[in-house]
Amino acid sequence: MRRKKKIKNIGVHLLLSVLAIIWVSPLFWIVLTSFRAQKGAYTSSFFPKEYTLNNYIKLFTDTQILNFPKMFGNTLFIAVVSCIISTFFVLSVAYCMSRLRFKLRKPMMNIAMILGLFPAFMAMVAVYYILKAIGLSEGAMIRVALILVYSGSSGIQFYIAKGFFDTIPKSVDEAAMLDGATKWQVFTRITIPLSKPIIVYTVLTTFISPWVDFIFARVICRANAEYYTVAIGLWQMLEKEYVDNWYTCFAAGAVCISIPIAILFILMQKCYNESMSGAVKG
Amino acid sequence: MKKRRIAAALMTAALGITALAGCGSGKTGSAGNAGDKISTTITVWGCAEDQAEENGKWLQTMCDSFNNEHPEWDITFEYGVCSEQDAAKTVPQDPQNSADVYFFANDQLQALIDAKAIAKLGGDTEDYVKNTNSSAIVDSVSVDGAIYGVPFTTNTWFMYYDKSKFTESDIKSLDTMLAKDKVAFNITEGWYMSSFFLANDCLYFGKDGKDNAAGIDISGDKGTQATQALVSMVNNPNFVNDAGGVGIAGLREGTVAAYFSGSWDYKNVKEILGNNFGAVQLPKVKIGGTDKQLKAFAGSKAIAVNPNCEYQQIAVALAKYLGSKEAQQKHYDLRGVIPCNTELLKTEQIKSDALVTAQNNTFDNTSVIQPTVAGMNDYWTPAQNFGKSIVNGEITLDNAKEKTEDFYKLINSSIIK
Repeated sequence: MRRKKKIKNIGVHLLLSVLAIIWVSPLFWIVLTSFRAQKGAYTSSFFPKEYTLNNYIKLFTDTQILNFPKMFGNTLFIAVVSCIISTFFVLSVAYCMSRLRFKLRKPMMNIAMILGLFPAFMAMVAVYYILKAIGLSEGAMIRVALILVYSGSSGIQFYIAKGFFDTIPKSVDEAAMLDGATKWQVFTRITIPLSKPIIVYTVLTTFISPWVDFIFARVICRANAEYYTVAIGLWQMLEKEYVDNWYTCFAAGAVCISIPIAILFILMQKCYNESMSGAVKG
Repeated sequence: MKKRRIAAALMTAALGITALAGCGSGKTGSAGNAGDKISTTITVWGCAEDQAEENGKWLQTMCDSFNNEHPEWDITFEYGVCSEQDAAKTVPQDPQNSADVYFFANDQLQALIDAKAIAKLGGDTEDYVKNTNSSAIVDSVSVDGAIYGVPFTTNTWFMYYDKSKFTESDIKSLDTMLAKDKVAFNITEGWYMSSFFLANDCLYFGKDGKDNAAGIDISGDKGTQATQALVSMVNNPNFVNDAGGVGIAGLREGTVAAYFSGSWDYKNVKEILGNNFGAVQLPKVKIGGTDKQLKAFAGSKAIAVNPNCEYQQIAVALAKYLGSKEAQQKHYDLRGVIPCNTELLKTEQIKSDALVTAQNNTFDNTSVIQPTVAGMNDYWTPAQNFGKSIVNGEITLDNAKEKTEDFYKLINSSIIK
């Protein structure tokens, strides 16, 4: 019996290791490529023959043609602001849908569900013309435009947060209201502190989507290279004129853009664990 | 309830008015006092390299000297980054709000015309284009007899090779080369793959490449033979498919002795091969038993004027200036951009440049002007898939006939019923 179990365990672990290797190898390869000393998009070996830090140095210092540091800054600014606004929107909408009862609640939820089924970029040309009409398609206003695009309609993604809020007992709210709390106070003092996991989730998703978006950035930035985001920059590095010189820098860029996400995740994870340990006593 | 509805209507109206007001202020051109001196802003979009400090800021330098040469105009320049091959993606999105003068690759001409984003050039400029360029180049920027851009360089691909591995006589025939050493060729991209069909007298959109209704004629034996030649090449153990940078990587590692690419790879290839650097026009290849000349698609890069520009005279003059002999010379000096001005091509300095010679020989002897007609858009993806089927062995010498027939029907689906 024990032997049988052992064999089964070995089999399962073998399978899992193979899957893990398959899954991790592309990421591992990108990291290796970012330290590769040989130029070019293709090499005949998996492991580089020589290692160097020059790709990272070039990425952040060779800014004349592809200004990666600037793009990185632009994207970070846009993503942070969009993340804050979107998180607030999502949580507010979710709270309203979960706690308040009003006439159009059900229809609005249905509409949100249906609208959510359409990919956002379907409206990209329309969005561009609206932004142009209100004068947001030129100069520094491009940043504002991108923030608006990424955060403006984020409220519609309230479903998961609403589901979470629904699990917080209403009696807690009621007790607070009996003590004289307003709806806003209930939201900020009771619901939010009890919902850290869902806040973590919302912050992460609302940060990542502007951070990696390509389509809207491309449609709205057009020829304004000063306001390009990292996604456009990385895409440019793969154009035929640049690919041979920039491919290893592209890999370095890919590693760099994962850093803010990783930092955010590590910071947020602390929050996540804390809230799980201080369980709700209903 | 009713009040609310009225309020909503009012708000919608207000929004609409703001939107319209926004439209009005789109252009920044303001006429100067009483019309004697025009002061305006001209937006110019060019590629990033032309605006980089390390390349001597060709675009800015040229625009500034243009401004100095025209005291009657007071121009402020605004620069944007949009490479020649991106023009057809970026400009038609909103021609009114695009550059007044921009650079484009001629294969996008039809798309730009359809979007009403490119102006016909007449008068002086038209004469200038016609008189200073070879007829093939003039042809590449004209549609129905009208000229749409001021060409400044040719755009095609040719062969780079390692002089220590191939002799002068080897490089005349692809078959000889393949028998001797490894050769990389990008068969999975229509731009390169088509050279076999073009070599075997297949006509793309009629004799002059402007007849959309004629379609791409790869029917019958001539198409089948070209496919068979492609299959035999792939079956050769010395063939390397140059997908995803394999060719230049092989050259770097010494495992590939020749590969096909364009002037954009010049610096890298020169660095790799050093004294053994060789660049020549395309070789011949055996198709259906006889040696046929491979032919590359060729085009030009040119400077366009946006018809939405307020001061057409300034924009046209600027386009002409940026495509002038002096500007091309400067472009060559600063960035090695191959000129196309016929006078300039006669100068010793340019004649002795190996890259220029290779590109221009290809352009003159072993190329076909790439059609700009709309039907061409339906070609690239099927061509890519066709190339892939050859590489992965789906297409063989035996089924080449029917597969070519299928390919023929696919790329002409709008013409063949």
